[in-house]
Amino acid sequence: MRDIGRSGPSSVEEMIAVDKIHRWYGRTHAVRGVSLGVSRGEVLGLLGPNGAGKSSTIRMIAGVLEPHAGRVSIAGHDTMTAPIAARRSLGYLPESAPVYNEMSARSFVLHRAAMAGVPRRERRNRVDAALERCRVRNVSKQRTGTLSKGYRQRVALAGAIVHGPPVLVLDEPTNGLDPTQLREARSLIAELAEDRTVLICSHVLGEVERICGRVVIIGGGRVLADEPVRHQPGAGCAVAEAFGVDGEGGPLVVPGLKVSTEPLGSGWTRFTGSKVTDDGAPLPGQSAVERLGAAITSRGGRLRLLTDRPDAVGGSLESLFVSVLESAETGAEDAEGQVGEQQAGEDSR
Amino acid sequence: MRSLVGPVVAVGARELGALFRLPVGWIVIALFACLTGAVLSVASLTTGSPATMRGVFGVSTLLVILIGPAVSMRFLSEERRTGTLEIVLSSPAAEWQIALGKYAAGLVFVACMLSVMLVHAAVLRGVSEPRPDWGPVAAGLLSMLLLGSVCVSLGLLASALTESQTLAFLGTVLSLVGWVLVTNVVPNYVPAWLGDALASASVSRRIDDFARGVIDTGHVAFFVSVSGLFVWLVSIVLGVRRWA
Repeated sequence: MRDIGRSGPSSVEEMIAVDKIHRWYGRTHAVRGVSLGVSRGEVLGLLGPNGAGKSSTIRMIAGVLEPHAGRVSIAGHDTMTAPIAARRSLGYLPESAPVYNEMSARSFVLHRAAMAGVPRRERRNRVDAALERCRVRNVSKQRTGTLSKGYRQRVALAGAIVHGPPVLVLDEPTNGLDPTQLREARSLIAELAEDRTVLICSHVLGEVERICGRVVIIGGGRVLADEPVRHQPGAGCAVAEAFGVDGEGGPLVVPGLKVSTEPLGSGWTRFTGSKVTDDGAPLPGQSAVERLGAAITSRGGRLRLLTDRPDAVGGSLESLFVSVLESAETGAEDAEGQVGEQQAGEDSR
Repeated sequence: MRSLVGPVVAVGARELGALFRLPVGWIVIALFACLTGAVLSVASLTTGSPATMRGVFGVSTLLVILIGPAVSMRFLSEERRTGTLEIVLSSPAAEWQIALGKYAAGLVFVACMLSVMLVHAAVLRGVSEPRPDWGPVAAGLLSMLLLGSVCVSLGLLASALTESQTLAFLGTVLSLVGWVLVTNVVPNYVPAWLGDALASASVSRRIDDFARGVIDTGHVAFFVSVSGLFVWLVSIVLGVRRWA
């Protein structure tokens, strides 16, 4: 039963509380009893394949959609019974970071501040601070329609944080960015997460792996896993990373490194090199970064960025994601099989 | 109080800014000024013609019926198309504040457009002898504003219902035409009780009264109520969209 009239914090620590929410689109049951909680200061990643119910879940958390059953509360404010207070505690960056193209970046953020109820006398300072924090002050007078996608993303983010919300919800914040923009967006999100509760919805595992402390995997409208992001022993620690255009040939072979490639769209690829051995013994000759760079260019590839990965967290998430989804599919097939066998048995009787 | 009005002003200021930041807003006002000015010069400024603005109000009625929906057709459908509606819906603003802000922006734009008719009135006063009767002029201007209010609010409702601006515009104009037909033509072919009921909702008969210089508070209340009803329906549609 819904706790009508409750508007105070349910738990001091729980900034996002989602309790068994459901959502139907016609006959399609898109979200089936999703529950999750995000504590103060935590960065949670919401992962799932396309059509898993991530966007519906995140829209219900942001107050854009209402759950058909269950409840969501933001900073202790129920989105159904105290929607304005809940939305005031939240900064939301929708997928594709929509902005008003005819407005300048500054006007847009000013408008967001006015909508969020920032007092007039504080508005200018808050807007300047948000623009500064998102590193878009240099384009503040430019029309947002003329900005690159990376800048538009940051302007939209400035609009989401201008009223100083304690909770930030980001839907695919790095979607469609080129490697340089991706890197900037990643560091900006990590910086914003220092003093906020952040929920990031993404299908880019690397992003979630680097930024989030915990990950919730959604599939078929249900929570399939809720795990902390951690380094898995023996999985190999990434020591080198490159962005560029891959050349001709099969798998990239680099002595002493296990290399994984991730296509980023528009011909760009991310190359991640992990040590083959986990004992930390130095390999003779060139460094890992140099070997990775040389291997890419020697097969006709083009390098845009080559770097060490001091913030490496390990390659555990991809295996977790795949195994969770596979087991969910197997479970569903088994259940269907059991139903089929049961029906066959009933038919034969 | 500030928290109630703040989002309305923010939404309205943005919409109004968008209308005037883009050339289309200025073009519409310029076209309106040219067309009504041409009618004024032909119907009222020639030798022997009466010193009234009835001809101007006649063509203005048609223009307001077309321009009102054209202004409001993008208010919500464009937001849905570009995805900015998610920003609006996730902001701490109630549905009625969003609807009222957008309606107010449309109404202010129509008022700005109609203000060129004050220039027409001043010109008429300067060249006419005897001087024009100001009662019908003031009542006519008020009727145009009230008609604009209904057109903008109906256009806003259509815009809330569809993502297509074209559909929103056509839907509004056709609804207005249908409304005129049902309340003006149909009453001649149905039983008297039904005819009277339909005619009581007539817009054109009220506009005619205003043109004669009669400012009936009942007529004013009718236009305000109808506009309010449409704005309220817009807020309902926005609420339903969160649920559906």
